[in-house]
Amino acid sequence: MQNTPHTLATFETALQGLRSNVIRIASLSSTNLETAMRGLMTGTPGTLNEVIADDEVNQLERVVDREGMEILFRFNPVASDLRDVLAGMRIAGNAERISDQAKSIARKGKKILKQPAVSELAIVEPLAKAASDMLSNATAAFVNRDAGGALAVVISDRELDELYRKAYKELTKAVESSPQNAKAYIPIVVILRSLERVGDLAVNIAEDTVFAERATDIRHLDLDEAAKETGIEASI
Amino acid sequence: MIATMETSMSEEEQQEEVLTPGRKTVDSPVTGGKPSNVVIEVDHVNFGYVPKKDVLLDISMDINQGEVTAFIGPSGCGKSTLLRCLNRMNDLIPTAGISKGEIRILGTNIHAPEVDVIELRKHVGMVFQKYNPFPKSIFENVAFGLRIQGINDKQKLEQAVEESLRLSGLWEEVKDRLNASGLGLSGGQQQRLCIARAIAVRPKIILMDEPCSALDPISTATIEELITTLKKDFTIVIVTHNMQQAARVSDRTGFFYLGNLIEMDLTTTMFSNPAKKQTEDYISGRFG
Repeated sequence: MQNTPHTLATFETALQGLRSNVIRIASLSSTNLETAMRGLMTGTPGTLNEVIADDEVNQLERVVDREGMEILFRFNPVASDLRDVLAGMRIAGNAERISDQAKSIARKGKKILKQPAVSELAIVEPLAKAASDMLSNATAAFVNRDAGGALAVVISDRELDELYRKAYKELTKAVESSPQNAKAYIPIVVILRSLERVGDLAVNIAEDTVFAERATDIRHLDLDEAAKETGIEASI
Repeated sequence: MIATMETSMSEEEQQEEVLTPGRKTVDSPVTGGKPSNVVIEVDHVNFGYVPKKDVLLDISMDINQGEVTAFIGPSGCGKSTLLRCLNRMNDLIPTAGISKGEIRILGTNIHAPEVDVIELRKHVGMVFQKYNPFPKSIFENVAFGLRIQGINDKQKLEQAVEESLRLSGLWEEVKDRLNASGLGLSGGQQQRLCIARAIAVRPKIILMDEPCSALDPISTATIEELITTLKKDFTIVIVTHNMQQAARVSDRTGFFYLGNLIEMDLTTTMFSNPAKKQTEDYISGRFG
């Protein structure tokens, strides 16, 4: 519904500015997550420190909030414009929390690197890939205004949850069999939890994208209901 | 029905009247899903100011009792024209007329030959864009319609004037100077005086044609608050160019464009997820 530009060019510019900052914060959070995982898996504390030191995402969240508030009071957006602003502000908040998870992973990574290497670190890799894919797909769905793609992200959270359960079980076994490595295992458990949380936050971004595009709030609905409400054919 | 209707009915009588069998009712989300009576039915109406040149095209809508309905759309779209059809204000233009369809108020075709226009306007009051008090005292402005109806009993008039001024939120401001000229009031007060004048005869419906366009923001807010209060007792139809005003005060909104009713729905739906692209483009400032 959004192909006609607004008569008021400043309104158009403000909406586009907000949108590009939302996309930027989502993209930076994704980069922080990938950088944290790379630093952890390659054992490079310098890379982990880069993620911990990042402040751009925090600042950008403040910018998006300020821009959103200004659009609300200056232009009184309605319909899809209003949904775009509300969804954009919420997506920025979720992206910032993803970046916080990336920082947490980096901090725990530094602790792990101080311990003797354990082979169980590899357990996090499939989970990290799945969480990162969910975030990329949720961001792409927002960028492309693709409600179907967003719903697919919501659906894919099941796989991530399954991976988390498996990894957690595997790690519990490792703690039982090699309690002497507990100091290395505990931060791995926290990282697994962070990655599972990243998946949840990516789902939030996807749900907000569906809201922006379809005017349907699918939060707290089961997948059948969400597919019915949105009219999207979902392969559940 | 309008030709014979009592001008003042008790609540019980009104309740009985609205439950008249045969009158159209709808389940209204505005009333929490309870049946609501359709007060105005616009049924496939075409209207033109000159013959064979219709400016309203096949308009159909139902307006429910106790709701505020807003008409929005760019200048010349037909929203004020339709509003003026609802109490036959357009009858003042000799060449104007409905060429198709009919408008029913409380179940009666208001253009039927037996309908008395004066009687119709007792039931369908109007408030205009530019406040227009008579050059008379505040009291006489409000009492004017009642006096026309032949009510001259001092006590009855005083009671009705006070009640109307209270309903219009003006009583506390003017109770000590009821004999002062209505023209000495501020713009916002004059508009509320006009509203008091309109409601003094206890109409069923109040039509408002851009009632706040000449007012400052505070007076506008006072009138908007008043509209919300009045809808308990009256069905209100308001034409406004201010879409935020439509969003704030109305239960339903109709969007008009080039003489067509493009879309009519609950105001919450219209301003969050309109069904038609034309509506979306207009309310979000993409054209018009």
